[in-house]
Amino acid sequence: MRQLGLYILLLAGLLVFAYPFVWMAIATFTPEPEIPELTLWPSRWTLDHYRLVFERIPIGRALLNSVVVAVTVTASALVLNSMAAYALAKLHWRGREAVFTLLLFTLMVPFLLLLIPLYTLVVRLGWTDSLLGLIVPFMANATGVLILRQSFLTIPQDLLDAARIDGCGELRILFTIIWPLSIPALVTVGLLTFMASWNEVLWPILVVRELQWMTMPQMVALFAVGGGAEGQLGPQLAAAFLLALPIVLAYLFFQRYFIQSFATGGLKG
Amino acid sequence: MRKPKDIAAFFPERLRLRKRSSLGGYLLVAPYLLHLVVFFGYPLLFSFVLIFHRWDIITPMEFVGLKNFARLLRDELFFRALLNTGLFLTLHIPLQIVVALFFAELLNRPLKGRGFFRAAYFMPVVVSGVVITILFQQLFAFDTGLINRMLRALGGEPVPWLVSPALAMPSIALMATWKNVGLYIVLFLVGLQHIPKHLYEAAELDGANAWQRWWHVTLPMLNPAIVTVVVLSTIGGFSLFIEPYLLTGGGPLNATLSAVLYIYNQAFYFNHMGYAAALGFCFALIILVVVLLQRRLVEADTWS
Amino acid sequence: MRGNTSAHHPKWHVLLLSALMLLGCHRTLPLPTPEAGTVRLVYWTAPNPDEVALARTLVSEWNALHPEVQVVVQPIPAGQSSEEVLLAAVVAGTTPDVCSNIWPGIVRDFVKAGALLPLDRFAGFDSLWNSRIPPTLHEVFRAPDGHVYQLPWKTNPIMMLYNAGLFEEVGLQRPPRTYSEYLEAARRIAADTNGDGLIDRWMGYRDIRPIWWQRYFDYYAFYIAASGGRTLFDRQGQLALDTVASNQVFAFFAQLYAMGAFPKTSLQGGGGPFIRGQLATDFTGPWHLVWLEKNAPPALRYEVAPIPVPDDHEGPVYTYGDYKNIAIFATTRHPEAAWRFVRFLVSREADRRLLEATRQIPVRQGLLEDPYFAPVFAKYPLLAHFAAQAAYTRSVDSVPDLKELLDAIAQEFEAAAVYRVRTPSEATRRALRRMQMILDWNA
Repeated sequence: MRQLGLYILLLAGLLVFAYPFVWMAIATFTPEPEIPELTLWPSRWTLDHYRLVFERIPIGRALLNSVVVAVTVTASALVLNSMAAYALAKLHWRGREAVFTLLLFTLMVPFLLLLIPLYTLVVRLGWTDSLLGLIVPFMANATGVLILRQSFLTIPQDLLDAARIDGCGELRILFTIIWPLSIPALVTVGLLTFMASWNEVLWPILVVRELQWMTMPQMVALFAVGGGAEGQLGPQLAAAFLLALPIVLAYLFFQRYFIQSFATGGLKG
Repeated sequence: MRKPKDIAAFFPERLRLRKRSSLGGYLLVAPYLLHLVVFFGYPLLFSFVLIFHRWDIITPMEFVGLKNFARLLRDELFFRALLNTGLFLTLHIPLQIVVALFFAELLNRPLKGRGFFRAAYFMPVVVSGVVITILFQQLFAFDTGLINRMLRALGGEPVPWLVSPALAMPSIALMATWKNVGLYIVLFLVGLQHIPKHLYEAAELDGANAWQRWWHVTLPMLNPAIVTVVVLSTIGGFSLFIEPYLLTGGGPLNATLSAVLYIYNQAFYFNHMGYAAALGFCFALIILVVVLLQRRLVEADTWS
Repeated sequence: MRGNTSAHHPKWHVLLLSALMLLGCHRTLPLPTPEAGTVRLVYWTAPNPDEVALARTLVSEWNALHPEVQVVVQPIPAGQSSEEVLLAAVVAGTTPDVCSNIWPGIVRDFVKAGALLPLDRFAGFDSLWNSRIPPTLHEVFRAPDGHVYQLPWKTNPIMMLYNAGLFEEVGLQRPPRTYSEYLEAARRIAADTNGDGLIDRWMGYRDIRPIWWQRYFDYYAFYIAASGGRTLFDRQGQLALDTVASNQVFAFFAQLYAMGAFPKTSLQGGGGPFIRGQLATDFTGPWHLVWLEKNAPPALRYEVAPIPVPDDHEGPVYTYGDYKNIAIFATTRHPEAAWRFVRFLVSREADRRLLEATRQIPVRQGLLEDPYFAPVFAKYPLLAHFAAQAAYTRSVDSVPDLKELLDAIAQEFEAAAVYRVRTPSEATRRALRRMQMILDWNA
């Protein structure tokens, strides 16, 4: 009996957290006048809203921009962060502890403080309205280094020494020995970085003004608030749905990794 | 374990390796450090310069000493943004903790399909804030919004969610809670699962009922997780931007003006880079103080 | 760009260019000196489709007449606002040679940054200035250093568009002239026409969000009218707000919102509600006429009248004129050619094309008396009202932080008129206080 009660509560939660997405998905195919109605199912399905979205804004280009930016940032973060994490975890060099303290310090500084100076730096470098301005400032991050360092610490020293005696260079050790042994941590850092980069919207709004370099969240945001949808609900929801789709699909397949990554990231935060 | 120095005495190879390890360390950490210096260190230092200047990017910087701070103290919008953030956090954090704890407890039971529920609750976390905001714009709209339509169908009055100065920020707090609670459910779940069973058994032996067990065992043991939730939410609350930007533009009557939104307006509508930097500096300082206080308060609680 | 701004390209750009030049490679970069004397000018126009079409027509005419000076038309790249895009271009050094979408409010900052060329140094400036520009505007657009950096091109005076049929329906034969008349009309017109308990026919509509430039179409225009042609600052650059006028404007709009004559929800759809008969009046400029002609149903009878003024008002009705001016950027490599093109843009023929194609009023004295323009006014009779009003317009003050000063007013408008949490005089006081804080910070 209590089981039933628990399930009812869980289902109520499901309704609250998942139904809005379902509603949104259905609304994007519902004719405009019917959207605010309380019917569960549209009288007829229409692709008009999606058509408007594709006509009005270069959303395909925005998708491409987002993909390029997110993938590049993630790949770069994985490489740079692991290099630093390896150096901090397993190698001995003067100043190692100082750098580690510096790293912890960077976590304490809220992004608010850096926002304007970082923006002016990007302007001076001439990286506004380009992918460089979106990618380069995020190519490494302290949280990733921390997570990877934590994971690298658990790798047995003997393994590394043996490889060194065999003549392996440090980079080779990192990528051929350490990486295969740290897949969970790498996936965590990769997912967190990818998600953060994909969903980032404040920074592109600052740095990119031209349509052709906008990222997908930015373009959808401007479309919804900038009147491109002419006040119609359908196209706005359609654009939002298109934005959500890639991540939701990835999530449906890899939810376990997503959840674990955030849990790790949250605990380290 | 034998110390490296001793090994070096017997195996000159090891000494060479250690030296190489040193060089390797420097080389490996160098790209990260370079990035840190350029994209963290330089902006950080430059921010300390910028806050004492006026700058609109196209004309040269002008030194103004403490004028930015003098203005800040007279600027009612600065205090409004602080107040709004405070209101947001006061509503958002407790609501989030209660709801997350509730569902974490539910999911902690051995139920079939709880992985499915957990995944469903978590989904809003991964979706972009833009999507959530557009969705809630349709839910909260006064005349055509879904929620008000349902209320009217049930015979009630429509609620001015986003158009009433009193309700706008609470609506955004509600939306932020909805978006993030999945993450905190997971964090609490992890915390719950790490509580040693023997503590419960000991409490039961002492005659504690279910409620008392929860209050005296579960809650204190969850304290680190609660601290994490509070700190993360606080930092998130001060970073609130896209929601007010898209939904209300900071209104009505500046009720949803957030810290970052005000900085954005100052920097990009009015081109006041120096003043915006000063605002960022002050808000950052306040965040640090608040977070430190929170840690002190909640941790002091643990041992009470 | 001139000056010691901090936004130059990195120096390696110059090295690369020099290297390429030395190697004699074929360049795809714009050539610094023309070969065979062909000059290429880049001309930026507003992204408005009618203006772009006009620009292309004018430019193709120019190109045919002047093979040695070829002009390329580019609509200002899409972005948040033209001013932002121009600012970004100034920063990046990618400004065009000529732009005709310069809002007077940004000129001061651009001049300070050394981004614009003084036009009064060119040959023929004086005669052009005196023949075209109405004398009342001569000093308005002159910079503090005595030079002229912007040539007034067109203006959009804000007037009241009204639905004559709807007015007659409620028994009003002529448009309201004073606040009392307007409020009385509002009382009759605001109604619930479909019986669902909500008002769905309104007297007018304003975007109630505190967006500073929206106030051009309500507070600022009405303030200029109520104060008899005063702006916010005096000639010496001192804050000189006419508090009586300000209070009257706040009170006027507060009453409209209190009686529900203006909706507090956001009405989307551009001019839709007006042509559907949901709005009796709209405060707008002549550019809107183009849209109306295309979209208004034939049964709709609309007219234009000056915006209402306080009951005790005497004298002509002034209003806000949304001026857009022409400027030559300092990055141009061919200032003389650019000046010749600018003169072409403001010639009589070009002005008439402007009037016909976009229905916006060229800043030219004697428009209504000149028989050359008479056919256009005969074809579009409502345009004559706007042309007459153009002589009685005011622009924005050329002061630092103009946008934030207007924003201070927008905040108080929201508080006093829309939400009525403050009395009009309190709102004026608070606006003044905030404006003073901003000015003190500037000093």
